[in-house]
Amino acid sequence: MLHLDGLERRFGSVIALAGLDLTIEPGELCGFVGPNGAGKTTAMRCAVGISEPDAGQVRWRGGPIDLDVRRRIGYMPEERGLYPKMRVHEQLVYLARLHGLARRAAEDGARRWIDRLGLAERRDSAVEELSLGNQQRVQLAAALVHDPELLVLDEPFSGLDPLAVDVMSDVLRERADAGVAVVFSSHQLDLVEDLCRTVAVVSSGRVVLRGPVRELKRAGERRLRLETTGGVRWTERLPAGVTIRGRRGNEVTVSLAPGVEPGSVLDLVRGDGSLVGVRLEEPRLSELFRDALEAGVEA
Amino acid sequence: MNALATVWLIAEREVRQRLRSKLFVGTTVVLAVVLTVLASLPAFLGAFAPSDGRDVPSDDDERSALRVGVLGTLTDDEVASLEAAFGPIEQVPVADAVAAEEVLQDGQEGLAFVVEPGERVLVAPGGNLLQVGSAAAARAAEALALERVFPGEAERIGEVLARPSLPVVQIGDTDPAEAAARLVVANVGVVFLFAVLIMYASMIINGVIEEKGSRVVELLVEAVPVRRLMTGKLLGLGLVGLAQTLVLFGPPLAVLVLTAGELIPSAVGGLALAITGWFIVGYALYAVIAAGLGSLVSRPEEAQAVLTPANVLMVAGYLVGFAAINAPTSRLAVIASFVPFSAPYAMLARQALASPAWWEVALAAGSTLATAAVLTVVAARIYEGGILRVGARVKLREAWSRR
Repeated sequence: MLHLDGLERRFGSVIALAGLDLTIEPGELCGFVGPNGAGKTTAMRCAVGISEPDAGQVRWRGGPIDLDVRRRIGYMPEERGLYPKMRVHEQLVYLARLHGLARRAAEDGARRWIDRLGLAERRDSAVEELSLGNQQRVQLAAALVHDPELLVLDEPFSGLDPLAVDVMSDVLRERADAGVAVVFSSHQLDLVEDLCRTVAVVSSGRVVLRGPVRELKRAGERRLRLETTGGVRWTERLPAGVTIRGRRGNEVTVSLAPGVEPGSVLDLVRGDGSLVGVRLEEPRLSELFRDALEAGVEA
Repeated sequence: MNALATVWLIAEREVRQRLRSKLFVGTTVVLAVVLTVLASLPAFLGAFAPSDGRDVPSDDDERSALRVGVLGTLTDDEVASLEAAFGPIEQVPVADAVAAEEVLQDGQEGLAFVVEPGERVLVAPGGNLLQVGSAAAARAAEALALERVFPGEAERIGEVLARPSLPVVQIGDTDPAEAAARLVVANVGVVFLFAVLIMYASMIINGVIEEKGSRVVELLVEAVPVRRLMTGKLLGLGLVGLAQTLVLFGPPLAVLVLTAGELIPSAVGGLALAITGWFIVGYALYAVIAAGLGSLVSRPEEAQAVLTPANVLMVAGYLVGFAAINAPTSRLAVIASFVPFSAPYAMLARQALASPAWWEVALAAGSTLATAAVLTVVAARIYEGGILRVGARVKLREAWSRR
């Protein structure tokens, strides 16, 4: 289990981390989301041991992040990092061996991931000769080649085409199913919502929302989308806990605070005219994200 | 994987990558071929074959007479035999053997040699005129010997010029040919050291920047302590440097030994080893400086600017090395040969030209290596503090504080 406990990090006058707490369980696939400058990259660099927090601690399975632990982590940096002139297969074998694998195991790992990620035809190409998408695949292979117990990936989906997104998603899901703790940052909230079991929203160096995606959505404000024929004068008499979220012609979207029954709103609408369409929706992750950030700012 | 295996793995990659570079291998091979061709040219042109002091003097009557010092008096036959060998000679009387040594050593009289009739031919030691002096002396000895075999037959002597019978005795304790060879080795050695040290410092800094600029270093430091990373890189590039030195200078030296082995003084072999040794010592010193400084920048165009302090030290050492060649026994040369940054150049010059004691060489190498060891600790700390900071150039103080 990865524990980030009260991490603080300051760069000059900029506070990157302000007491960030986060726990990732083995087998968990966690999306780490937040606006630019929220502290995601700094937190991930602390998690893999290449940056030291000013305060707080990082622990893996109860122990500190020492060299042995670091070698069991798969890391994909935000700015991609590979030797541009080194060949794909050779580079993966080299990185695997640096992570402690014997030559044979490193060769096997490199071959397996090259095949799995569709790079077989480019195994002897220099990295700089590959398309950006393929470079990204090599980068993922570099994080996976030594069969890590913890995967920390900084923006692994940025710049990928839809097919590559599918491959990356499959691999992450498969690794989590195999018991690997996986955490990745992303700005693609819909993708995180579809892929991840859990999510952590970070803002101003702190986690402001954390939990299983399904539970967070269930606990969030539901949306009621209503289409009427008798105008929207009913919106002037909304009960407590009901807030207008959008309006387009006769179509109105309202949010319902937990505990508010949708029937009370429907009765209100029927009083003004007839109801043409109605849909009750759970909130999207992007909406939870915005709400969490707004709540964080207000706090 | 233990520390040694990790360092070796990193070094191995460095070696493999350099050897895979067509530009690097191509340049090295072309240079080696050029040097080998240059080394074999004298043999092709026949320069070595008759050069044991028998180069025939010009028949140009207009040229000035050869100035020859004479102890005592030359007989007419001896003058005739010498003129058969050299053309017209101008006799310069010399009082005694001591005066002969002085006049030859200071060179102001412009004497090619001094003849002591019936006894010896004296020549001056050291300096660029030595080859001329020794060749002329050998020829004079031959001519005088022939005069005894064919008394009064100057023309026949001129035609035959058989074996010399008089010993050629040099003044001082240095063999002229060896002294000339030592001078050449000192010059070549100092220039070579400077060239390879500056080239490898540049190669190291570019290697560090490649890892830092491409961010691959973030993957590496996750798995390898930063010091091992630096050590492996320096070891790998040092091995490439040694191999390149062997490829560049091995074939030309082999050609020289094969074509003119008897003309190459034995001291040259020892000096070649000294050059190799000082390359290793100098590399240990300057490579760690280059690695530490390289970790402060992220872009190749910043490499030379950040390397300036190391370059200044290397150029200063190089210039002091040449001062030591000109005056190998001077106080400057002696002091500079113990100062770590100039020791590789200055001690090499002294080894070539002034025969320092073994302990002096050991002390110079020891002090340089000790400085390299201290700088390794300093550079490793700077490297640790700078290698993960991408973007603007990192200040030394920031890198040192590691924050």
